[in-house]
Amino acid sequence: MSASTTSTSTTPATPSAGPWLNAWRHVRRDRAAMAAVVVLILIILMCLAAPLYENYVAHTDAFTSNVNGTYVVDGQTKPVLEASTEGLGLGVNPIGPTWSSQLFLGADNQGRDVMARMLFGGRNSLVIGFTSAIICCVLAGIVGIVAGYFGKAVDAVLSRALDVLWAFPVYLLAICLSVVLINSSITIGPVTLNSGSIILPILIIGIVYVPYVARPIRGQVLSLREREFVQSAVGAGAADLRLLRREILPNVLPTIIVFLPLMTAINMLTESALSFLSIGVQPPDASWGTIINDGVGLLYTRPMVAIAPGIMLAITAVALNLLGDGVRDALDPKARLRGGV
Amino acid sequence: MWRFAGKRALAALLVLFAISVLVFLIFFATPGVDPAARIAGRNASQETLAQVRQSFGLDQPIWTQYGVMMRHLFIDRDLTSFVNRGAEVIPQVQQAIPVTLSLVIGAAVIWVILALVMGVLATAYRGTAVDPIIVVLGVIGVSLPVYWLGEVVNLVTQSRLHDTIFAWVPSLGYVSLSEGFGPWALHLLFPWLTLAVLYAGIYARVLRSEMVGAMNEDYIRMARAKGIGEWRVLLRHALRTSLIVVVSLFGLDFGALIGGAALLTEVVFGLQGIGKLTYDSLQNFDLPVILACVLYAAFFVVLANFIVDLLYAWLDPRVRHV
Amino acid sequence: MRARRTSLVVLPLSAMLVLAACTSSSTPAATSSASGSSTSSASGSTATTGYQAAHAGGTLDPKVNYTLQYWQLYQATFDGLTAFKKVNGQDSFTVVPDLATEIPTPTNGGKTYVFTLRPGIKFSDGTDVTTDDVVASFQRIFKVSSPTAGSFYNGIVGSDVCLKTPATCKLDAGVIGDKAKGTVTINLTAPDPEFLYKLSVPHAAINPKSAPTKDAGNALIPTTGPYMFTSYDPNTALVMKRNPFFKEWSTDAQPQAYADEIDYKFGLTVEAEVTAVENGQANWLFDPPPADRLAEIGSKYADQAHINALTAFWYAPMNVNIAPFNNVKARQAVNWAVDRNAIVKLYGGSTLAQPVCTFLPPEFPGHVDDCQYSNPAGTTWQGPDLEKAKSLVTESGTAGQAVTIVVSDDEVNKAIGEYLQSVLNSIGYKASVKAISGNIQFTYIQNTNNKVQISLSQWYQDYPAASDFLNVLLGCASFTPGSDSSINIAGYCNKGVQAQMDAALKTEQTSMEQANAQWAAVDKAVMTESPVAPLITPKLIDFLSKDTGNYQFSKQFYMLVSQLWVK
Repeated sequence: MSASTTSTSTTPATPSAGPWLNAWRHVRRDRAAMAAVVVLILIILMCLAAPLYENYVAHTDAFTSNVNGTYVVDGQTKPVLEASTEGLGLGVNPIGPTWSSQLFLGADNQGRDVMARMLFGGRNSLVIGFTSAIICCVLAGIVGIVAGYFGKAVDAVLSRALDVLWAFPVYLLAICLSVVLINSSITIGPVTLNSGSIILPILIIGIVYVPYVARPIRGQVLSLREREFVQSAVGAGAADLRLLRREILPNVLPTIIVFLPLMTAINMLTESALSFLSIGVQPPDASWGTIINDGVGLLYTRPMVAIAPGIMLAITAVALNLLGDGVRDALDPKARLRGGV
Repeated sequence: MWRFAGKRALAALLVLFAISVLVFLIFFATPGVDPAARIAGRNASQETLAQVRQSFGLDQPIWTQYGVMMRHLFIDRDLTSFVNRGAEVIPQVQQAIPVTLSLVIGAAVIWVILALVMGVLATAYRGTAVDPIIVVLGVIGVSLPVYWLGEVVNLVTQSRLHDTIFAWVPSLGYVSLSEGFGPWALHLLFPWLTLAVLYAGIYARVLRSEMVGAMNEDYIRMARAKGIGEWRVLLRHALRTSLIVVVSLFGLDFGALIGGAALLTEVVFGLQGIGKLTYDSLQNFDLPVILACVLYAAFFVVLANFIVDLLYAWLDPRVRHV
Repeated sequence: MRARRTSLVVLPLSAMLVLAACTSSSTPAATSSASGSSTSSASGSTATTGYQAAHAGGTLDPKVNYTLQYWQLYQATFDGLTAFKKVNGQDSFTVVPDLATEIPTPTNGGKTYVFTLRPGIKFSDGTDVTTDDVVASFQRIFKVSSPTAGSFYNGIVGSDVCLKTPATCKLDAGVIGDKAKGTVTINLTAPDPEFLYKLSVPHAAINPKSAPTKDAGNALIPTTGPYMFTSYDPNTALVMKRNPFFKEWSTDAQPQAYADEIDYKFGLTVEAEVTAVENGQANWLFDPPPADRLAEIGSKYADQAHINALTAFWYAPMNVNIAPFNNVKARQAVNWAVDRNAIVKLYGGSTLAQPVCTFLPPEFPGHVDDCQYSNPAGTTWQGPDLEKAKSLVTESGTAGQAVTIVVSDDEVNKAIGEYLQSVLNSIGYKASVKAISGNIQFTYIQNTNNKVQISLSQWYQDYPAASDFLNVLLGCASFTPGSDSSINIAGYCNKGVQAQMDAALKTEQTSMEQANAQWAAVDKAVMTESPVAPLITPKLIDFLSKDTGNYQFSKQFYMLVSQLWVK
């Protein structure tokens, strides 16, 4: 959940504290990055407080249809979903933003409080974005290091596998998986996948971007492998594992960490795109993506339902990107990152 | 060099083959997709269902079906859609190409120009307020969900302000270039801008960081020491070296976009390009069209990768041994 | 008729109709020799307003296509021996002679029909319509594996052989043409009081004998009606122009058309279609307008919108063979609990839908107002009874079980699915909702292998007969375990009810009125058993541009495309 904070604040605790501590100090001097950290913490706190908001401020249930619900304004009781009375009386409109404690941003097409849903949705978006970023970076690190270090056939096979993954239609995979999982679950180790599980979008998004991160890491390992200090260690008969741990990993780790906030941002945007195509978080659960998707259906009458979560998503992504820039400057100024989707 | 190229080309074919097999397997592993049931229509009798299955070869083993479909796609070139049964797949893809090309090329022109201006200005005015403003603008561009931006743009230009300042915006859809440059460009203007905002942000960021890095290199210091003007150094030396990275990035992005990576933009703006075709075929579970679109897209992605790798191999001979 | 829901099979359909410049005269008679009136030149250009598309509604073959979208167009192009009367309103359920001179009284105990062809009718390619064409057309139903071959036309003598080996289909003893007399004799294995309805749908349309013996796909089959198809590209557009050989032979069966050309374009978003009609760039849109545009259509453009009730219903089939809905109390609980008014709201308001409580829709043969699940009690649905539902769930012992609702992923279906989930939770289940692409949801929920407990589906009539709802959706013959084509989604096969339905079908031979009373009893019996929860009957909104007139709505095939004119 707390994407950026953990990635930065836990770093000083790693064994080789020296360079990490320096990096942390560097980040702390970076005003833009620190502002981003503050914004992210605020957003995370807001989302953590979602149940409080739901119970004590909005007095609502964010996950139950409220089609026949009512709302009291100026002593008058009004339906949350109001049927049009003009002309032919076509259409039913949810109430718009009240800008007060209840229905602050108005209601969605089920009559539910959009503000409360947005806070809950933020949790899912952040969790999916951050968890899938970790999965992606870990997998990409392993693949990139193995391919780059062992080279030859291993590299050829892994590189082609990355090509397949990169060119593969992720939407098809996601759509088909979500249908397959309706009444059968897949168990991978300790994780059981079933329909509607948040793990599904996490895994899919995490895996899809592996080539994106693995390629630069592979390149980096390739050139490290050619460096003198590695070559001499190989000449001295050092074991592969030891070499990987002592020489390669410490050099590659900063790059991987630099990728983390950026991948979190990218993955959150991807999650929203998947939701736009109705794959991803399943109703009545919400993510910023699914709320935007709900809102697109109400765009002409109640644009705020789509606009508000979009803005939240954009703010979070901007903060993550700025933080990512700061981390890069601190750890690995030469890393070539592009951001975006 | 040629051997390297040959090996990579072979590997690329292998990648395409693997993707086609995977798509096929995943499709048939999904319950409810049976094309025969959907072709036969609601409440078809079991005999009719069996007839349809037979006439479409859907009763054959899956690898036979794969072979037949590939033969129709690549050798006979007459593969037809499951859903629109008279519609051949290849002409559908061919019809969609100009739309996607129009969208991508136009957007690329805009984003490259924007990125160049932003990148150079940010580098030139680094240390002043201009730099962070440009950086943040770029970051915002990168951080907007593209389909959301598209929907909001549509809301504003097609509805909210359509009666006032955006009265000149035509309704959604694509107009062929043969109907005149003006209508063509006008219909594509907002799709171009929407797509360009995202990539301009990315490229401006990359360009700026490359240029700032280059400005600290020795040859720049030498050039400065020779008394060459700051702008000249910036444009003739720093920009030139930085462009290598940008060009290779551009190759990858352009390949993916031509292959249909602009799917969401095309869907939101109702442009019947490759992305929209892919989207529709996925919605319809129309396997022949899905396969054609996916292979088409994969071809460009793999090709772009291949070209970029070749360039690197040419620049850095060590890569060739891999 | 093919359901509106199946129009989702080619989602997003996005079809738009642009009528070309039309004859300014307001009577069809004035243009009865259509080939002469080439008045399209002047404003014909307005027909090609810049609407691009790349998506379509499937094959153009009238024997294969089973979508409402194209059946509507076939009314203005193809003809059968008989036809539904092309008029506004309830009268459109009447069968009238079309290519046949009159409707014959069946002989041989109701098993033999002798039709006499109208002389002088030509196909749009100039060839005469002969008895050979009629015979070939019936063979063709089987040769192209028409969707209804095994359900509508399996009563024709010889159809059993044709269903097994379509390629050599002859129907020697079933459909016999006499070229000299100009008659066609159709023999059935058993009397079928609904046979004339089945002859009046497009799958029984008369095509030239030269028509391909496989699905014609995009190929243009010559027509007999006022329009012919002149080009079809499922990715861009369908163009219909006047059939130069058409002469009006019966205003009831096939009236002359007004517009000279119809351009049907595909592929824009529905939002853009609505905008186009509002701006007068298109005359009509096929797709239902999205929820957020309804209010503006209902107010600002109220005089351009036409709303008609459909003989159809939205319902939630409950799988009677697996838990928890193998328990009748659990099923009844759902019927008690669902607030139909909430569903009406989610569908777009009371102008667009009406709560239902019976299996047969209002104003449909066999429908009698009756409601077993209403609080307060009444003959129509008044309100839900959550307490009763909860206690039924408790009594059934199924409380706390997990239930998954499978719905298609378009906006309205998903919204209703989410609402149903809330309802099921409130009466004691642990419900989740799963939205999947509408294109596979329909087949997915039919297959018993997928173990769907409850889903959301729709049924739109093929022809106005109670059996088309009750016997098709709940008959034992429609339940095939393990098949993707098993339209009895609830898996409900009750021997007693089936016997009642068979009896009603038999009564239809002698008296439709008595039969309909029997169907009403079947409806009541079925609703007690509660294999489905009927939710709403939908209404259709047709939105026309300002300059489009003469809107007429056939209850059978919806808006009469040939009767629209442009001012």
